[in-house]
Amino acid sequence: MLSLIFTWLSVAWGFLSCIYMLRCAWTRFPKRDVDADDVIPFLYPVDISLAESLLDPATEFEFRWKLRPPEFREAQRKRMRLYLELTRRMAHNATVLVQYADAENNSRDPRRVGLASTLQQKAIEVRIYSLLTRIKLRLWLLLRSELLTSKPVLAHLRTAGNINGLQTYNALKTAAAAAFVQLPPDELDSLTRSL
Amino acid sequence: MYLLEFIPSGLLVALLGLLVLRRVYATLPCFFAYAAFAVGADLARFLVHSHPGAYYATYWITEAGYDLLGILVMYEVLRAVLGALTRAWWARLIFPAVLLAGVVLSLARAHAAPTQFSRRLAFCILIGEIAARFVQVFVFAGLVALVRLLGLRWRQFPFGVAAGFGLYSTVALLITTKLSDFGTRFMFLWNVTSLVAYSLAVLIWIWFFSVPQKTENPSPELSALSPVDLKQYKDALRRMR
Repeated sequence: MLSLIFTWLSVAWGFLSCIYMLRCAWTRFPKRDVDADDVIPFLYPVDISLAESLLDPATEFEFRWKLRPPEFREAQRKRMRLYLELTRRMAHNATVLVQYADAENNSRDPRRVGLASTLQQKAIEVRIYSLLTRIKLRLWLLLRSELLTSKPVLAHLRTAGNINGLQTYNALKTAAAAAFVQLPPDELDSLTRSL
Repeated sequence: MYLLEFIPSGLLVALLGLLVLRRVYATLPCFFAYAAFAVGADLARFLVHSHPGAYYATYWITEAGYDLLGILVMYEVLRAVLGALTRAWWARLIFPAVLLAGVVLSLARAHAAPTQFSRRLAFCILIGEIAARFVQVFVFAGLVALVRLLGLRWRQFPFGVAAGFGLYSTVALLITTKLSDFGTRFMFLWNVTSLVAYSLAVLIWIWFFSVPQKTENPSPELSALSPVDLKQYKDALRRMR
């Protein structure tokens, strides 16, 4: 009986995937060309120094030391929500850059294709990290796990799925700067500030 | 019905020609081997179709070949897509986990609806075939989910390969399940639907491979930045820090 349920679930999943692919093929051709103008205004700035401080074990220890347990739990929830917002922005920026890299992959210039490939790879790593971290954070917030134990420790979120989040996001910024190097200096500056 | 059986074979020959033209044997060798094997298997079955004994042996040998190559192609697809994503240790566990899930579900199906095979080898090949179908559906549906979640570019060869197998395997699993419910009354519809689904799968592959894929690994000389670009790039990096 259980095997039959799993078989039907697999069949349904397969059919839904087929429908999704059909929809992609139907709606995305010809593909919209995303250029630099479609990137910079759509990016959300990510404060890396704030993320660093949220993930810093020393800061967390200081909070734990100075605050009473209920105050610490409240502060920790705020810090979790803040980091959730930062990872949401990281994921959003990565999506915007993936779309740009997709369009750049159709370029005739092999150098631009190479840079777009690197950008895409870094963006996907950021997406994986953000996805795993957001699942974890949402679970922590939903289950109010801080009530049961002294955990969760935000510093543990520095790495998810063997991907160091902040390091990878910095690598994404570097890859974006390389991919957009042809932009005028003021626009390149705007890009680096927006990331 | 007899003529309908030749449509997938004709499409496979066209696909094989396209794969040679696109030099797919260098990028996706297992899929190329699968297409070449499929053409050879169809030819072998056609040559022996009037000799029941030889046809029986050829049929089961080629089915085993299809199972093995079908699973190897899925490994190749996953490696091509995930290899570029991350070098994380858990990424290497995805394929064994998918394969294990496929085998377990196939065995569970066989236990729930036992087949009438007296020969153990044919039974094992059938189990392998259903396991391969599960693996193909999981890989295809998993990749589609990744496209949605990670924003992957789906118009690339490995996705095309997975899409073709995914469509055919979904239909094949559905039909296999219904066949165990309805018995041999369902046989004619099974044959026609299976042929149509496989033809559609080959058409999907032809469609994907009909567009040449851009090279993503330019030579080091081409990737060098000009001095002006390099200065601008360094300035941008300095501003970021």
